[in-house]
Amino acid sequence: MAISCDPLNVVICGVGGQGNILISGLIGNALMKTGYHVTIGETFGASQRGGAVFSTLRISTKRRYGPLIPQGKAHLILGLEPLETLRMLQQYGNPGVVCVANTHPILTIGALSEKEEYPDSSELKKAIVKLSRLAWFVDATGIASKLGATIVVNIIMVGALIGSDQIALKKEDVENEMWNTFPHGKMKLNLRALEMGINNIKL
Amino acid sequence: MIKLLSGNEALAMGAYHAGVKVATAYPGTPSTEILESLARHDDIYAEWSTNEKVAMEVAMGAAFAGIRSLVSLKQVGLNVASDPFMAASTMAVNAGIVIACADDPGIHSSQNEQDDRHYAKLAKVPMLEPSDSQEAYEFMSYAFDISERFDIPTLMLTTTRISHSKSVVQVRQEQTPPAKQADFHYDVEKYVMLPVYAQLRYSLIEERLTKLAAFAETFPFNQVSWGERHLGIITSGVAYQYAREVFPQASFLKLGMTYPLPKNLLLNFAAQVHRLLVIEELDPFLQENIQALGIKVTGKEFIPRTGELNVDIIEKASRSVGLLPEISSQPLKDMSIKLPKRPPQLCPGCPHTGIFFTLSTLGKRSSLTKSQVKTAKESPLVITGDIGCYTLGTYSPFNAMDTCACMGASIGNALGMEKTGIAKKLIAVIGDSTFMHSGITGLVNAVYSEGQITIVILDNRTTAMTGHQDHPGTGISAQGKKTRAIDLEQLVRGIGVSDVRVVDAFNMKQLRNAVRGAVDSTELSVIIVRGTCAMLAPKGSASMVIDAEKCNLCGICLQLGCSAIQRGKKQLYIDSALCAGDRCTICQQICPRQAIHLKSRVESVKLL
Repeated sequence: MAISCDPLNVVICGVGGQGNILISGLIGNALMKTGYHVTIGETFGASQRGGAVFSTLRISTKRRYGPLIPQGKAHLILGLEPLETLRMLQQYGNPGVVCVANTHPILTIGALSEKEEYPDSSELKKAIVKLSRLAWFVDATGIASKLGATIVVNIIMVGALIGSDQIALKKEDVENEMWNTFPHGKMKLNLRALEMGINNIKL
Repeated sequence: MIKLLSGNEALAMGAYHAGVKVATAYPGTPSTEILESLARHDDIYAEWSTNEKVAMEVAMGAAFAGIRSLVSLKQVGLNVASDPFMAASTMAVNAGIVIACADDPGIHSSQNEQDDRHYAKLAKVPMLEPSDSQEAYEFMSYAFDISERFDIPTLMLTTTRISHSKSVVQVRQEQTPPAKQADFHYDVEKYVMLPVYAQLRYSLIEERLTKLAAFAETFPFNQVSWGERHLGIITSGVAYQYAREVFPQASFLKLGMTYPLPKNLLLNFAAQVHRLLVIEELDPFLQENIQALGIKVTGKEFIPRTGELNVDIIEKASRSVGLLPEISSQPLKDMSIKLPKRPPQLCPGCPHTGIFFTLSTLGKRSSLTKSQVKTAKESPLVITGDIGCYTLGTYSPFNAMDTCACMGASIGNALGMEKTGIAKKLIAVIGDSTFMHSGITGLVNAVYSEGQITIVILDNRTTAMTGHQDHPGTGISAQGKKTRAIDLEQLVRGIGVSDVRVVDAFNMKQLRNAVRGAVDSTELSVIIVRGTCAMLAPKGSASMVIDAEKCNLCGICLQLGCSAIQRGKKQLYIDSALCAGDRCTICQQICPRQAIHLKSRVESVKLL
């Protein structure tokens, strides 16, 4: 049992409704059962309605840490949406940070009503690469659409995180937690989503 | 057995294992999940009370009858419950009663940032503050024991960061103790607070406080951990976690019980360190009470009194007074791309969208912006608001809310403005759950005072913002049982309102006529806007699509603020995965060119 840093600081970010809290629980539970001290900080309340949301995970072999990650001290960012990934990078990034990000944008309300510009996709991607030591990308929303259920974007991203091999997270452990979480009728779709995430990430 | 639990889940499990049999609450972020977790146990009684005052009174009743009870609420909820809370602290409680109260430093989801630790001092009750989920779990059995031993309610105080963070909990037992036989014993000196009996209580209350202070000296979670002696830190709650990360070498006195304070423990700790510091969130509660014991201590001179603390803020504050060395490095940032903000918004298919669009257009409010400060000049309507998802109607594109103070305030605020003789029509907007919570008394007052205001009750059949809890209007209990539903329309008519209109939240014509009629009326009116919350209703079988040939990009549909309606490079389109389709149809109803129509979801995907 080893982690590259202690505590290992992970940010999971996205837009309210994407299932951010659900996957922080899946990952946290899987790691807890492997023997780590896990603390998860969540932001929820009114922000769950389409607002920016993020969870912070602190994983340690030594003790229970507080839930918040200091500025510039994330080791890993799992981004369910590219703009939110960049927002978190600006706050928690550092030259050593690794990103695993969905490439599919969700426009902001300001961008929809033409009051603000949503940044160009390729510019966003470039900025994420520039601010990271390593950046993996996956079109999780595209894959989810092909599977016929955009709701599984979050599970595809957990797969992508496993596929990146940046964290001691085993596929079997996550699958076990999924069996504990989802109705069994939904498992076939979710297991497929996890698999697709593992196999489709690109540097 | 280990479990990954949020602070709230841990509090609930702790209470359950401590033998709580009656649990009451009104939903409020960040405290909601305490009762939600308890309600899953069918061997106890759990209820969503109408409001926090009622919740407190029900819990007191259970305790009087010898049964352990728990009230859970958020910081402003304790304001609502403060009358029975003060009463409970004056009289005797008999069985254990614990008030689990969650503060919200940083105002993540509240209307204020009040520090409820002051309530412990005001009510002269013991207060425990857990610093993680393990302590939240463990403290509960202590809280009940203290309550019974000293015949007093115990305040269990958490913050958003404790309530909503998850950490690993070692769970002791899986069983809850068996229920005791409830009974009540006549004792008017303890239970009837007539002046003659209440006067007798006060010497007992002071005596009890002295005994509690002695108990605090031995409370096992008031812990000293010795590090280097040049810096000693007194702290509690989540601030302990941050302080320990900033000063890993320092000595700590971590207080699990923060009222009353353990004087000797504090004096002893202070005497053995060179410099003494208090690190706490919000007000200097610990600091001032420690200073009152004659101990020299600093903290709030440089640690902020407002907002949530974190490691960065404590580090920066400590550098400013030389507790840590200065550093110059800045976190790496690339600001070449300006990131648009992402505020929360109403869901696609939300039953509030139509009424806010109506109020916004009839009230000529869509062009109101922050720069035009005097909104009243621009709009013929003043819209007093209330607390719920619908407070989002404040934001662009609706700009349809002028005030939002506290639960139920919309009706009183509207009446007060009207009674000044203001030349604008007053409309109060309030949700169904909020109306049940504290709108009813405001409406009684408005009818009695012959107000001419309009009250719009947004009846989405749930308490949506806190995560869809039931309330008296839904007819379902906290434990999922069918119960009696209170009929809103009958209730309003019973109060004496004769101009009551019940309209379909998704029928724009009905909404417009109702608001127009109410604005023109000279008597008090109530509009009940009925439509199920989008997150509880199944999506329609079809999705809306925009016919690009008919659409002239006028942008009126964008004024709905619906996130399903998207702007492509050259045309507007509707995301079929988000659209509520034939359940909503509001965009179709308002499109001046009839360019929006329904298509089956399969076909609408093909179009994209």
